[in-house]
Amino acid sequence: MTALSVHILDEIRELPGKYPQPRSAVMPALDLAQEELGHLTPEAMTEVAAALELDPGYVEGVATFYSLFHLEPIGKHHFYVCTNLSCALRGANEIIDHVKQEIGVKEPDEVSVDGMFSYEEVECLGACEFAPMMRFEHRYHYDLTPAKIDQLIAASKGEKLLPTRGEVARSAGGAAEKPKPKPRTARKKKADA
Amino acid sequence: MPELRGSHGDSPTNVLTRWFGTPDLHTLDVYESKAGGYAALRKALLDMAPADITNEVKTSGLRGRGGAGFATGTKWSFINRDSPGPKYVVINADESEPGTSKDRYILENSPHMLVEGILIAAYAVGANQAWVYIRGEYDEPYRMLSAAIEEARAKGYVGPKPMGKDYPLDIRLYRGHGAYICGEETALLESLEGKRAQPRSRPPFPAVKGAWGRPTLLNNVETLVTVPWIINHGGAAYAKFGTDKSPGTRLMSVSGNVNKPGVYEVELGQTFRHVIMDLAGGIAGGHDLKVFWPGGSSAPVLPASMLDTKTDMESLAAARSMGGSGGVIVMDDQHCIVRAAYRLLKFYARESCGKCTPCRIGGDWAVRTYERILANEGSQVEIDTLLRVSDGLQNGRCLCGLGDSAGWVIDSTFRHFREEYEDHALRHECNVGKVATSA
Ligand SMILES: Cc1cc2nc3c(=O)[nH]c(=O)nc-3n(C[C@H](O)[C@H](O)[C@H](O)COP(=O)(O)O)c2cc1C
Ligand code: FES
Repeated sequence: MTALSVHILDEIRELPGKYPQPRSAVMPALDLAQEELGHLTPEAMTEVAAALELDPGYVEGVATFYSLFHLEPIGKHHFYVCTNLSCALRGANEIIDHVKQEIGVKEPDEVSVDGMFSYEEVECLGACEFAPMMRFEHRYHYDLTPAKIDQLIAASKGEKLLPTRGEVARSAGGAAEKPKPKPRTARKKKADA
Repeated sequence: MPELRGSHGDSPTNVLTRWFGTPDLHTLDVYESKAGGYAALRKALLDMAPADITNEVKTSGLRGRGGAGFATGTKWSFINRDSPGPKYVVINADESEPGTSKDRYILENSPHMLVEGILIAAYAVGANQAWVYIRGEYDEPYRMLSAAIEEARAKGYVGPKPMGKDYPLDIRLYRGHGAYICGEETALLESLEGKRAQPRSRPPFPAVKGAWGRPTLLNNVETLVTVPWIINHGGAAYAKFGTDKSPGTRLMSVSGNVNKPGVYEVELGQTFRHVIMDLAGGIAGGHDLKVFWPGGSSAPVLPASMLDTKTDMESLAAARSMGGSGGVIVMDDQHCIVRAAYRLLKFYARESCGKCTPCRIGGDWAVRTYERILANEGSQVEIDTLLRVSDGLQNGRCLCGLGDSAGWVIDSTFRHFREEYEDHALRHECNVGKVATSA
């Protein structure tokens, strides 16, 4: 049994031929792996490396450099909220506070109890004239307000029945249950420089 | 149709944005029939020798819009068109400089303009294949550009014989994965080759040894979308806009505390007063302007008293700043400069690729020092430390411009707002109402 399905591995083996040199295939290959599994597990990276005939350490080195690769599970719906200056000047921090409260998490990359949501504070997303803004479900969302966040959360929850941790806490009239500390994988670029 | 916040329509200085806002401009059909698209490609391929194209770009005086402002025609002439073997054009669509959104504005409104510019550039420098490196978060621009390339392929403009000319042209896309450093040209090339995006030492320059070790022309999106206009109207006509040394127009993305944030096309030499007060509608909420970053977060700040500074590169250099990426970040008097600088230093520290020590260590050092100051634990020692760290980041001590940019944030905010730094560090007080970021 492989972590990645046979057809994904076949697709990955086709990639190197699309570039002037085969190594360029590493990121598109990691994309396919992450798309299938939600995040990059050590097994998945090992299989990508084998399919591309690369050293797994090299593949992990690439994966840990780029912030769009996730090495730990994230929520099914992940908020990439811009907090760089232009967005901060127009209320990005209030948006972050609201997201945290509504999905019931305390820190970036922590996953809500039902596995549905997580968030991350990201750098400028190149849409500063629409600040505050974020990327969510492969789309940009502009002129954010708490109400817009609520709508998106409600729409995402349409797919399932469990309430979020925030809702459980509020309906119980108490504070959110303390989240399990989750090991965080820092971007490793500095450590091994 | 994407929502338009910025220049579009008929205005004498809308060189790039004249047709923006036209329904379905992103389709080949409308780009060709309404906006006169692909006429420049036809002219370049059928009526001009490659050297004539490069000369026309030289005559226009166009300078790169990615940040460094290098003369575009001159850069093109560095590629030896007759050298054997593959050559590439690589397009920098990584757009990650804080405060900058102009390339996204172009890609969402008129992707065929970029396709046309790329094809002309490739023919001029003797390349048959172009690679667009587009930041991974740009989902919609990626889809629109992919669709435009496929339409151009179906029409034969991308393919073995564009416009009937026996000169194969191909365009491919490569998606980034979230790292500011990929905008730096040699880091971008590393990333395109499937590596960690760490800048290369130069020489060799990309024109000699670029993508996959081959001669490579690397240009920003906006730089290349200007080329079709230059080919259609002539370099001399373009040079009539702007100033002698900074000809033409450029897109400025104005953001922050203004009434009408947007991407505005500005004739170079206009003042920032025009950009901020007229085009972007002035400061929001009845507050006053405090400071602005004239060319992305990496461009040294200018205080409100310098609002009449002009937008051309020479005027900005005289003001000890730069045109950079054209991103104008505007901050009002309700916000604290020390906190704003701290937020930006966190950005540079986080985005340091770690390859060279001054940048890897310096950024974190600055962040920690700001944290002490903002926690009211500062003294003259912290101010001195900040200035020394800033010096250590600049003047060629780092492998690429990221370190310098971090240093310029510290230097320029201190230079213009020393009092505010001293309030925080020496008197442990902040005399500004609101704060921009959580400490
Ligand atoms: C840290 C850093 C980030 C950069 N980011 C970008 C970017 O996002 N887009 C861009 O076009 N140029 C960026 N540049 C400038 C490029 O290195 C390069 O000068 C430019 O893409 C060349 O194209 P041009 O001559 O058409 O301007 C960056 C430079 C540095 C040092
Ligand atoms: S600062 Fe948020 S999109 Fe640019």
